[in-house]
Amino acid sequence: MRANALAAAVLVALALPTSALAHAVLLERVPTYGARLATTPRTVSLQFDQTVDAFASSIDVRSSTGKVVTAGPAHATDSGRRVVVPLRRLPKGAYTVRWHVTSNEGHVVAGVYTFGVRVKPPPPTEAYGAGGPTKFEYVAKWGYFLGLALLVGGLAFRLLVLRGRTVTPALERRFYWVVGVGVVGSIELGILGFILRAADAFQLPLDQLVYGDLSPLARGTRFGTAFIAMTLGFSIVAALLFLAWLTERTILLWPAFFLGLLLCSGLSLSGHSAVDVGSSWKSEVADYVHLVAACFWVGGLVMLAFVVWPTAPGLRREAFHRFSQVAAVLVGALVVAGAYLAYDRLPRVADLWQVRYGQVLLIKSSLVLLALSWGALHHFVVAPALERGRGVGSRAVSRSLRGESAVAIAILLVVAVLVDANPPAKSAPRPTQAVVAHK
Amino acid sequence: MEPPAEVVHWMFGVGFVFLGLCLLAEAIVGAEVWRRRRWRAYLWPGIAFLMGIFMWPVMVFYTSSAIHMLAHSAWAQVMMLVGAAQLGLVRGKLHNQLWELTLPLALVVSGLAFLIHEQNPWFFSRSAFLHHALGWTLLAGSVVCLGRAAQPRSPVFNAGFAVMIVAVAALLFCDRNVAPIFGHLSPLAGAR
Repeated sequence: MRANALAAAVLVALALPTSALAHAVLLERVPTYGARLATTPRTVSLQFDQTVDAFASSIDVRSSTGKVVTAGPAHATDSGRRVVVPLRRLPKGAYTVRWHVTSNEGHVVAGVYTFGVRVKPPPPTEAYGAGGPTKFEYVAKWGYFLGLALLVGGLAFRLLVLRGRTVTPALERRFYWVVGVGVVGSIELGILGFILRAADAFQLPLDQLVYGDLSPLARGTRFGTAFIAMTLGFSIVAALLFLAWLTERTILLWPAFFLGLLLCSGLSLSGHSAVDVGSSWKSEVADYVHLVAACFWVGGLVMLAFVVWPTAPGLRREAFHRFSQVAAVLVGALVVAGAYLAYDRLPRVADLWQVRYGQVLLIKSSLVLLALSWGALHHFVVAPALERGRGVGSRAVSRSLRGESAVAIAILLVVAVLVDANPPAKSAPRPTQAVVAHK
Repeated sequence: MEPPAEVVHWMFGVGFVFLGLCLLAEAIVGAEVWRRRRWRAYLWPGIAFLMGIFMWPVMVFYTSSAIHMLAHSAWAQVMMLVGAAQLGLVRGKLHNQLWELTLPLALVVSGLAFLIHEQNPWFFSRSAFLHHALGWTLLAGSVVCLGRAAQPRSPVFNAGFAVMIVAVAALLFCDRNVAPIFGHLSPLAGAR
């Protein structure tokens, strides 16, 4: 009897908080995300699946210049399930909606989205108030680039430079460690980068972001589309690498390599080269060539210094010679594509020292010059010496290769800062004579 | 565009029930008989690995909250890890038996992911109840798997592991978006 009463009390205690402990989910936004409205909306309203606590500042609507355009405090309707804020008459332009309400269980649920009046709104990543990347985001992106370089460059090295050569089990084992770290790093840091970008757009600390609605970011932006495609793609690459290791079939590395190459395009198709004013297919191709050449170069250097050199003394000379030949082509592609992109993104030479993007580019170019000089030393001095049978067992060569790898990895850090810096604005292309005449 | 959440749960339920039946069959007839045909040894680790790959689309397409996304990412990764480790052991590519510990580790991570990402109490809704039940089932299963790692031939631990997987499948099949038990509908009710 007593046990039954206790069980009933436990059940009641568990059942009672149901209405007071709930995590609210946003069901509908009006205007909806990404809407391009022909007329001014009178209100912004958000429909939730359950009752929420709304505050006067629960919905903040701002113009692209940061001007508040709400006409009064936010208030709840529909038994507390809908939160509404009245708007002033909105002129043509893009608007950012930031909202936050408190769920019954006390958690803050929040989100951000954009809409436009007679204009196409920007993606949430460029919403008003997004503060831009943090240092932590730079480090995450650096790790992401390094992961990509280890994966794509490592595979290229194994398939092209070591093609037709018998590799030792120790080399093979270490190769799989390197590309494995590369693919896992690409997946993990890709997810981290997505979350950090969302945190920036939402302007929320990470502990509150966990309940944020990420769908506008995932579905409505090039960045989100690239994130989806690359996460799915890298999971398949990981599976292919694993199967190649498990079955000892090198042929499975080829689809992993080609898929990795294809996935690199996700960065070019969602970055400055694709979305900035004046970008074209040429800037996208140049960006892609630049990125792929850099991945081959950095990943190849790491493979030579940390995989071939310590594990396969018999392959050192040949691998060094072959990589040296490939590296010459890579450096050519890297420099030509990089020079085109710099020309395309910096309208004036003075931008190199006057704007932040140019300054970061200068630092990157200096490091690249150092790495190229180091590479030239390897190409013109070390490679011929190795050909003559000298220095194969030299620790100096090993240290030198590691040094060049370290400089190359440092360049990736600068690249991580560069890709999140905004190039100086270009003036929009002028209308043609025919259009002017027509007007 | 995406199927309703309940359908996705049922699809993974199919995977788990197949996985559980393979393990149950092995526990009943013994590893020697089960592995007379070599491909059978690869069966359950292969299914686990494949289910891990199929979890990634769920992770990237169901982004209603960050914590939801992270939980699915954790499940995708641990399923791939367990499948890969078991395949490596079966194939003879991995020799250290400590790799067996990936299984209890995966169950702990999966269970915690269920419990952390479910913000509502047990009786808030059917989905909340199922998430709690799944979380605690997986955590209990991790203890069984620890025993299995210590005594791989124990019929009790092997059968316990198999039954736990079948229970997970049953709980996944119980998911319904539109089922007003415990008073509340899932927020996903009626979603397409």
